[in-house]
Amino acid sequence: MTTAPRPTTAAPRQSLRTEILEARPVNLDGFVEEWPEKGLVAMESEFDPAPSVRVEGGQIVELDGRSRDDFDFMDTFIANHAIDVESAERCTAMPSAQIARMLIDPGVSRDEVLAVSRGLTPAKVLDVVKLMNVVEIMQGMQKMRARRTPANQGHSTSARDNPIQVAADAAEGALRGFAELETTLGVLRYAPMVAIALQVGAQVGRGGVLTQCALEEATELELGMRGITAYAETISIYGTESVFIDGDDTPWSKSFLAAAYASRGIKMRFTSGTGSEVQMGNAEGKSMLYLEIRCILMAKGAGVQGLQNGSISCIGVPGAVPGGLRAVAAENLVASMVDLECASGNDQSFSHSAMRRTARAMPQMLPGTDFVCSGYSSVPNADNMFAGSNFDTEDFDDWNTIQRDFQVDGGLRHVREDEILAARNKAARALQAVFAHLELPPITEDEIEAATYANSSNDYPLRDVLADLKGAQSVMDRGITGLDLVKGLESAGFHDVAENLLTVLRQRVSGDLLQTSAVLTGDFTPLSAINDPNDYAGPGTGYRLQGERWEQLKKLRHVTSSTNPETEVG
Amino acid sequence: MSASPPPELTTADYPLSINRPELLHTPSGKPITALTMDAVVSGELSAEDLRIAPETLQLQAQLADASNRPQLAANFRRAAEMTAIPDDEVLAMYNALRPRASTAAQLAELAARLEGTYGAPVCAALVREAAEVYARRDLLARPVADSDQ
Repeated sequence: MTTAPRPTTAAPRQSLRTEILEARPVNLDGFVEEWPEKGLVAMESEFDPAPSVRVEGGQIVELDGRSRDDFDFMDTFIANHAIDVESAERCTAMPSAQIARMLIDPGVSRDEVLAVSRGLTPAKVLDVVKLMNVVEIMQGMQKMRARRTPANQGHSTSARDNPIQVAADAAEGALRGFAELETTLGVLRYAPMVAIALQVGAQVGRGGVLTQCALEEATELELGMRGITAYAETISIYGTESVFIDGDDTPWSKSFLAAAYASRGIKMRFTSGTGSEVQMGNAEGKSMLYLEIRCILMAKGAGVQGLQNGSISCIGVPGAVPGGLRAVAAENLVASMVDLECASGNDQSFSHSAMRRTARAMPQMLPGTDFVCSGYSSVPNADNMFAGSNFDTEDFDDWNTIQRDFQVDGGLRHVREDEILAARNKAARALQAVFAHLELPPITEDEIEAATYANSSNDYPLRDVLADLKGAQSVMDRGITGLDLVKGLESAGFHDVAENLLTVLRQRVSGDLLQTSAVLTGDFTPLSAINDPNDYAGPGTGYRLQGERWEQLKKLRHVTSSTNPETEVG
Repeated sequence: MSASPPPELTTADYPLSINRPELLHTPSGKPITALTMDAVVSGELSAEDLRIAPETLQLQAQLADASNRPQLAANFRRAAEMTAIPDDEVLAMYNALRPRASTAAQLAELAARLEGTYGAPVCAALVREAAEVYARRDLLARPVADSDQ
């Protein structure tokens, strides 16, 4: 602050066109120059190491220019667990251009690529994908995605942590097509009630949808162990040793945790993404994509089936630098090309520009990924407790239209209003019954009416938060499990919902959902990379949007009848 | 543990819940087909019946191996071992593996407990490997002179 008079200079005159451009939403976004020394660079940095690998006595003794004595713990873990020692020297010696061509050549099968990629070092993987432009990255993704059938994941949260809202929105989201639904909290103590609401609502909307409640590790695992949630994904890993330690973990602690989840029959994936290390202040002068490739290989080495990546909550960082979204597309490809399930981001608001938000999703939506969004907000973004997603409920019809325009399956569909209202109403009633069964604070008829027709948390009567939090605590204290939810639903006559939930719970006894890229179909068939492997081999092969599913996706809110232009079909 | 050797599975056996339900049991020995709504309503089932059995994780490990995913298979084998460890202790063990949470001696003890008490040699190997790396990267807790931990 100063009181000194400022020199007066007349502002240079701006053109009227510039004024219009200045006012465009894209100019509210942040953009910065690259700063490679600090790791503020997407994927082209002279400070990234050159690929190298040397094997002695069945052990990798040199990795990307470092000898084993100088390995940090990421190098050690990747060398010990991620890279196939037998093929490492041969594969890493292959010309990068040859491997990049294999990725896009429909004549080379996914398995043939995997036979090479399992022997590559992080710097070699980077060297390969650096050769690829964004269309080639998409072509690679189309073939390398683990599961043949693409899917999508939704966020179902509430700015007031209102469980009735979460149940109703979960039901609608499940009906619209999300194969997984994730929630989290504003007030963490609300977690047990909201996780119950998510599970009940999801099973009303479409039996077999898998649910998750993102929390700190111990509580997330506990809700999973109790069968209140079905999977977990907020198990964060980082590409430098220093940031990994700042996160209070190591590759070994996270591997132990991965096995802990599997030991309880719970599906799990790790989370990582470009930009996290530079955002947390220690990228060790490496590019964002190089560090992310280290994360991907660490996840591979841990034996976790999949990874949520695509910058995730750090998307503003790669989004601000040149080539950033190309790097984000590349990181999804790398996860897929080392045979991990990929839940591919598009889950965090990062731009004010609708055009840019849409463009950001195309490298995942057009080729298809295991989960195109690892959190499409199936609530209005104001209710999104993950700080807002790249898409929300207002975008449903746009998303459905883009699917129809390009004949691509982004995992969602248009659903008629009467079906949505019925599902929302039923979800609220089912939750009312479960709360009554568990002697939790009651759900009123006014709340059910609100849930049926609501858009956001503002449209619901306020809850008695203190009573709810006491109830939530009692869920934990009394050791309530998924089985109690089944009993409550069954005893109140919600037989179909109870059966759906019991079937989901029974799945953990089989372990089928632990395999790579597993989801449950509407008839409760586990669909994974084993029984639905991606068999793309060029035009006319692989997943094609056709038949009954294509007929579903042709439907929109307003489509004019061809036989009677005065009426709409749907 | 069943006395008969586990069956040799191929990827065609997946999903086990549909193609090989006869192989699936709860840790309490109930067949998966016994997990019915009638059994829930009559109170025959407890939450313990909805856990995965170590034998099942070994079967899933076979499927992971058969589909060329050795790391995933290794994870399932660690998981099979961990089914014997109570929830609280699993979490405590995880916390013990965090950076600078344990001394070398504590990690050695943890590995010994995994191996001795729980018959978990694969998990124990992971802990021993961690201990070696943590020592080299200064990630061990410093021993406290009069500690009884």
